[in-house]
Amino acid sequence: MKSEPFVYHSPVSVEEVVSLMNEHDHAELVAGNQSLAIQMNNRLATPDHLIDLNDVDDLAYLDERDGAIEIGAMTTHNTIAESDVIDRKLPILSEAARQIAGPSVRNVGTLGGGIGEADPAGNYPTVLTALDATITLTSESGDRSVGVDDFFIAYMMTEVGENEMITGATVPTDPFPIGRTGMSFLELKRVSHTWPKLSAAGIVRVDDPTASEPTVEEARLTFANASDTPLRVEAAESAIEGTSLTDDALDEAAGIAMDSADPADEMQAEAEYKEEQVGIFTERALREAYDRALDQ
Amino acid sequence: MIDNTSDRPTQEITLTVNGNEITEEVEPRHKLSDFLRYRADSTDVRVGCEHGACGACTVEVDGKNVKSCMLFAVQADGSDVLTSTGLNEDDGLGPIQEAFHENHALQCGFCTSGFIMATKELLEKNPDPDREEIVDGLSDNICRCTGYVNIIKAVEDAADRMDTVSQATGDD
Repeated sequence: MKSEPFVYHSPVSVEEVVSLMNEHDHAELVAGNQSLAIQMNNRLATPDHLIDLNDVDDLAYLDERDGAIEIGAMTTHNTIAESDVIDRKLPILSEAARQIAGPSVRNVGTLGGGIGEADPAGNYPTVLTALDATITLTSESGDRSVGVDDFFIAYMMTEVGENEMITGATVPTDPFPIGRTGMSFLELKRVSHTWPKLSAAGIVRVDDPTASEPTVEEARLTFANASDTPLRVEAAESAIEGTSLTDDALDEAAGIAMDSADPADEMQAEAEYKEEQVGIFTERALREAYDRALDQ
Repeated sequence: MIDNTSDRPTQEITLTVNGNEITEEVEPRHKLSDFLRYRADSTDVRVGCEHGACGACTVEVDGKNVKSCMLFAVQADGSDVLTSTGLNEDDGLGPIQEAFHENHALQCGFCTSGFIMATKELLEKNPDPDREEIVDGLSDNICRCTGYVNIIKAVEDAADRMDTVSQATGDD
């Protein structure tokens, strides 16, 4: 199917985007167009104005700052997947980017698009929640920063207001010192171009990887598609913190995560099945993260 | 079909398609896939699902593969587009096309031009992929006839052919 007619705009600066949004009702921003195009082709989205961000060069950046990495909204999945600095400091982000769809989608799909779509099965919302990132939103009145906890409100609903746009994400790196941190992102999916039925992000920082039984100092555990927003299970994190990731601690964490999950039924994956997988993926993601923290 | 007989507004765009510069008026909602088939005579670009799932319409835009049904033609204004026909060589088929032909990597052939473009990008990034890397490199494309076995063989064969060509010409 073809989309309904619209007027096309291709601004070159953030200021221009903001003023176009203010000027026009029923406008949509388009980034990589790998999700919006589907909705428009099926006439589920029918904007009167399409504001293309692909010529706004200022939004495609990847900067390493003191204690954080800043990533522009128009940074593509491939750029994130192939970035040395991300692979070194936040490997879970490149691992997640590499698992999105196939190569031609990763060529054009963007971080900002993935955050803005806020699909509960999306990779970035879940990984950024595990990393406790901050999203930058820009409007006529300037920039504001919103923590991931406040950003994802409900199924495909975010904190982005009218005439406001996502310009970037800031991801802290201090909590994840190289050499004693391990990260793992696992997807449950059969076919690469579909959404995963479930994904898990696990992060583990140990006290001393050379010790005979390294102790977990800090853990992060989040899931995609186990709830209508990214699900972080802090009680499961606490269950393994202070332990050397014993089987008992992992079992306890898995039980807590399963109790916290509230997945929706979908074709080929009933809620009950996903809940069971939450337990299995808790163990796999945390075990892999722990092993990676030790193996450096 | 795309036509300009309605009174909806159009916009002039210029694209280079397989080396030929083409300037046309299009509606903003027209896909790059429509432009290529109806304005650039590139009917090797196949439109399968028209929502980004099948990969049959895959083409290269400014050096990167995209699904041309997921890009509005106006977004590609000024771009250099390559379709599978653009991989022809003076004396006939190029090495990837030949490998698909000789390995029977197609039955109905509808998906083939997309697979050929996916193979091109894969082998440019990774001239000697293993089986798993081939499967990942082709994962945006669907074939409903072959069961993929001969497609994977063709990609391996194409990698060998291109390796032989580059050794013969002294390229890296």
